[in-house]
Amino acid sequence: MSATVKRILLSALMVVAPASCTWAEDQAPFNFDVPSLHEEAAAAGIAHEYTGAWEFFVGGGVASFDCNGDRMPDVFLAGGDSEAKLYVNRSTKGSALKFELSEPVLVGRDALKVLGAYPVNLDNDAFTDLVVLRLGENILLKGTGNCRFEKANRAFSFDGGREWTTGFSATFEKDRKFPTLAFGNYVDRTAPGSPWGTCHPNVLLRARESDQADAAIPDYSDPIRLEPGFCSLSVLFTDWNASGEPALRITNDRQYYRGGEEQLWQVSPGLLPKLYTRRQGWKKVNIWGMGIAEADLNGDGRPDYALSSMGDTMLQTLDKQNDEDQPVYRDIAYDSGSTAHRPYTGGDGRPSTGWHTEFADFNNDARTDLFIAKGNVESMPDFADFDPDNLLLGGMNGRFAEMGEKAGIALNRKGRGAAIDDFNADGMLDLLVVNRHSNVSLFRNMGVKTEWGTAPLGNWIGIELDNGKFNRAGIGARITVKTGNLSQNRTIQVGGGHSSGRIGFSHFGLGVSERASVRIQWPDGDWSAEYRIHANNYVVLRKDNPEPVYWYPVKGE
Amino acid sequence: MAFAGVLALALAAQAGEAPWSEKTGALDPSQTMPQGVLTKSQLDTLTEKGERLFTARFTLDDGAGRPKATMAILPTKARSTAPNGFARTSGPDASACSSCHNEPVVGGAGDFVANVFVSEGFNNADFDTTDPQFSNERGTNHLFGAGLIELLAREMSADLDIQRTQLLNAARASGAPQETELTSKGVTFGRLTAHPDGLLDVSKVEGVDDDLIIRPFSQKGVMTSLRQFSVNAMNHHHGMQPVERFGARWTGEADFDGDGKSDEMGAGDISALVAWQASLAAPIRETPDISGWRDAAAKGEENFTAFGCDTCHIKELPLKSLSFADPGPFDVSGTLNDASVEKSATYDLALLEWTKTLARNDAGEIMVPLFGDLKRHTMTDQRNEQLGNELLSQRFVDRNIFLTSELWGVGSTAPYGHRNDFTTLDAIILAHGGEAAESAQLYRNADEAVRSELIAFLKTLVIKP
Repeated sequence: MSATVKRILLSALMVVAPASCTWAEDQAPFNFDVPSLHEEAAAAGIAHEYTGAWEFFVGGGVASFDCNGDRMPDVFLAGGDSEAKLYVNRSTKGSALKFELSEPVLVGRDALKVLGAYPVNLDNDAFTDLVVLRLGENILLKGTGNCRFEKANRAFSFDGGREWTTGFSATFEKDRKFPTLAFGNYVDRTAPGSPWGTCHPNVLLRARESDQADAAIPDYSDPIRLEPGFCSLSVLFTDWNASGEPALRITNDRQYYRGGEEQLWQVSPGLLPKLYTRRQGWKKVNIWGMGIAEADLNGDGRPDYALSSMGDTMLQTLDKQNDEDQPVYRDIAYDSGSTAHRPYTGGDGRPSTGWHTEFADFNNDARTDLFIAKGNVESMPDFADFDPDNLLLGGMNGRFAEMGEKAGIALNRKGRGAAIDDFNADGMLDLLVVNRHSNVSLFRNMGVKTEWGTAPLGNWIGIELDNGKFNRAGIGARITVKTGNLSQNRTIQVGGGHSSGRIGFSHFGLGVSERASVRIQWPDGDWSAEYRIHANNYVVLRKDNPEPVYWYPVKGE
Repeated sequence: MAFAGVLALALAAQAGEAPWSEKTGALDPSQTMPQGVLTKSQLDTLTEKGERLFTARFTLDDGAGRPKATMAILPTKARSTAPNGFARTSGPDASACSSCHNEPVVGGAGDFVANVFVSEGFNNADFDTTDPQFSNERGTNHLFGAGLIELLAREMSADLDIQRTQLLNAARASGAPQETELTSKGVTFGRLTAHPDGLLDVSKVEGVDDDLIIRPFSQKGVMTSLRQFSVNAMNHHHGMQPVERFGARWTGEADFDGDGKSDEMGAGDISALVAWQASLAAPIRETPDISGWRDAAAKGEENFTAFGCDTCHIKELPLKSLSFADPGPFDVSGTLNDASVEKSATYDLALLEWTKTLARNDAGEIMVPLFGDLKRHTMTDQRNEQLGNELLSQRFVDRNIFLTSELWGVGSTAPYGHRNDFTTLDAIILAHGGEAAESAQLYRNADEAVRSELIAFLKTLVIKP
């Protein structure tokens, strides 16, 4: 049965199936741990809503990164027509989550109309910087330590533009000292006929070649317009063919484009980007593309992609029946049980609306899970009103099982961006979701629920890379974690999701393994020797050090 | 009819089995785990159950065999179905624990014939050769005093954790790197450096894993607990897969090994096995009533110190508490630990008569006469590689590094060495290289009479349950 036919059948089922029938009922029993996710945003000290009119129906992102050097993830939250805020993480190991509102990092008008943010080190100093996406001028915030930032648009010769920017990604092209940036832009509201068929071009920024040798800061004064733009909502540099040369994947919103489709730009060093074409195998796909997530689900060294949309989520895998150098993908969402096409609880049979999407291992069983933030655009009558976020846990034979309700995340909120991170350094991934017109949801992962309380999940490791002087975080590096016969591959990326990004420790569930062998393919292509790491630890792997350096968080009282 | 026979019949009847059933009857279908502090009577009942399990000859009807799984400590599917129930090399290689642990009595060590073949079990899992490129051949250790060994290891791990935490706190508070010598119970584990940002330099740590957890079991010192050891062994040697690692929670299947039997061994059964092993009496010192032996042993003990043997084979280590909690604190998922159960069971080993014979120091601590340091050492050098006959590292531990063998009971457990291929104590002493080379050289250079006296001493360290 073709994917198209399946999707049609699914749509038909959505009409005739009784509202009480949930997706989970169709599945075999899910035997693996379901994490208990406890919502505690208010108790943790976070009070923040994403608000605003039409322009802020999209966006609502969060950047999760360490801004004060304690290696605990802090969060910068987009506010729409409310002020963006930075919350500093004051949690300790295994504690209840605790955040403290920071001094404003954006002032005046800059703090408003923020749609999203991504952390990335732009100038190779000791501090992570922040790329702030806005309705209007985008802003580069240079980190100066202790969660202080200064606006660096002028210093980095960066024209923030006037577009409606919703997507971002960064990569380090071969031999480049500074990152290459991609901005995904949405509807051009000023064009005649807007919003239908009026999409801004996207933008690629390479630091000027002349600055690569000696400059301490990048010069982004030469933007490259990526035309045509099809109202993108998420962009991601991705090494789809394991060539070492990331391409730019863009997901676009069919609601507004005319004649558009999903896009993949070939971005070769020193050359102008060019779109992959039909001749090269790229197929036309039209979705309400909201977010991109990447994972190597089948361990073949080639990324698979989750694309959130209205209705079905797509899960694309490289079609091996074609030449591996051809970007031909097939949708395995139906076969894997990850279409997440309508609410799994609450009785609303109308299609779902998906936003941030991200792969992670929430239950530490060494199987990749998929989170999708959900929520009606605003009050679209053809789409579900009660539309809870999805937690699709990886199960047997590559299938996913919807466990959002059992985990405790099926709240009546309109989710947008999200961050999956270990906010209290206990080895269990927590979740922050930015919601429209309601407080963020901050879920602490308590472990697996038992008759007497909660118990730990499987084993895990957290890995931070130190690539050296340039590209410190090792963007583009590939981490391979081997336990027994299982290899988990992960690429360090900044981008994708929905207006939300993170940088910091990469989390790997290890199941019942008490140790892991880790190898790194560094951004320059060099492979590391094997690092041997004991489970349930955080480590920093440095390119110039063959031994792992262990990191220990502050223990609670 | 003997009590055991009556009990077996009663258990069989209770389980709805015919008295002549080919099931062992030792498995507990209720799979309940003990909780809280056990009374002497409760402990006795549990250890009796554990002994029955330890000596049970598991059968196909119990779930013995693992046609579709390997020996690996991680649940791993075999690439092909094993043609035979048993395989002397890759296992399953025994129907009962006591098939190998039986010298001089059940729970003891094993002769060379009872060697096992340790492999990661991920690749070449069905190896049918003793070629060392596929597995490490290992002798069977005795288990007497194992409860005290694990308690010592736990206290030492806790000590090291405290030192690490204090060091990190000091570095964070001072804003400058801090370094300390890691020490527990007089055993040093090298040096640790903490940085203000919480990073640790473990490059100077010695004899223990980077996570500073003492793993006191196996020749290599890579097993944390009797519980972990038991879970591994039940799968490896018998194909009896404990639910706590091979059950549906982790594998998605109740019958991971594909033998038609689901949930073969519950957590309660593993608890009983642990309780029995933890309760086994510590070996003792006993000098044969033979003229001259006592004097020779006394001189031998003096030379044991003079040669520096007790640098690693430390005669006694102090133990604060005889309360043995199971599941314990240092296992990780795949073996139950104290955070993964509502309440651990506590076995007060002080209830056992044999613990009352253990000496105490001025602080009231129990002096455990293990003749060991629970630390790993390099045992070969370029001049002496007799203990370097393996090709495979094990669990991150290089091929020529081993845990100091506890010498208590050595007089009852010939042959010697991690491969059981030294028939005399003299030979195994001379095989010491690496960090023990100097002591071995002093022994080598000594008069034959002096060497003989040392043997006389070592032969007083016996198992007398």
